[in-house]
Amino acid sequence: MDNKNPLSPHIQIYKWHISSLVSISHRITGIINIVAITLICIWVSLLVFGEANYDLINFLLNSKLGKFIVLSLAWSFSFQILSEIRHLIMDMGYAFELQTTRVTGLIVIFGSFILTILIFFIGKNYI
Amino acid sequence: MNLSTKKWIFLKISSIIIIPLMFWFIINLVSIYDKSYFEVLKFFVNPMNKFLFSLFIIFTYFFSALSISEVFEDYISDEKIKNVANRLLLISAIIIPLLTIIFLFKLNL
Repeated sequence: MDNKNPLSPHIQIYKWHISSLVSISHRITGIINIVAITLICIWVSLLVFGEANYDLINFLLNSKLGKFIVLSLAWSFSFQILSEIRHLIMDMGYAFELQTTRVTGLIVIFGSFILTILIFFIGKNYI
Repeated sequence: MNLSTKKWIFLKISSIIIIPLMFWFIINLVSIYDKSYFEVLKFFVNPMNKFLFSLFIIFTYFFSALSISEVFEDYISDEKIKNVANRLLLISAIIIPLLTIIFLFKLNL
């Protein structure tokens, strides 16, 4: 039987709003996070093979690229956390007013950068 | 209760569970990623970290499988392709965390 459900309209036909930016970024960061978590699973599994096989991974993680990837991942996680909290608040029936959705969207965008810095400082024991 | 409602409820429950776990994991990742083999090993051998990391990956893959299947629902019209994509998603959401947890519990100092 043919599926008569309508598909989601293509994103380029709409004028961009804060909410649409947060929504598409939520999906993109979700995909990035699951790919990264899969790589982390491989990283953890490789620990079984001992220290001799860890040199290359250690070299990569200590390079500028490695640091950039971890910092980017901290931002991607921060964005997901804040965006997911926004979703949960909206699921409870709050914050649907147009102006409020703009404000909460901006909180997610700017808050994700602040949270990334905070995560880095806590992770590195600076605070 | 229909299937879509059940999926939505599972999605929300898993999202409530993974938010604090994401916080816990990313802070610890930042703290250990550039450390030596033994320091990374010490982190994953710790029973509490083992337990939390296992929970983190189980719920993350469960949440991802549900949310990515929503993306398939939105953008794939061909039912056959959508079914294959959903099956592959489900299989990977079971196999990847399962294998990782097996390796995780084989780790020791």
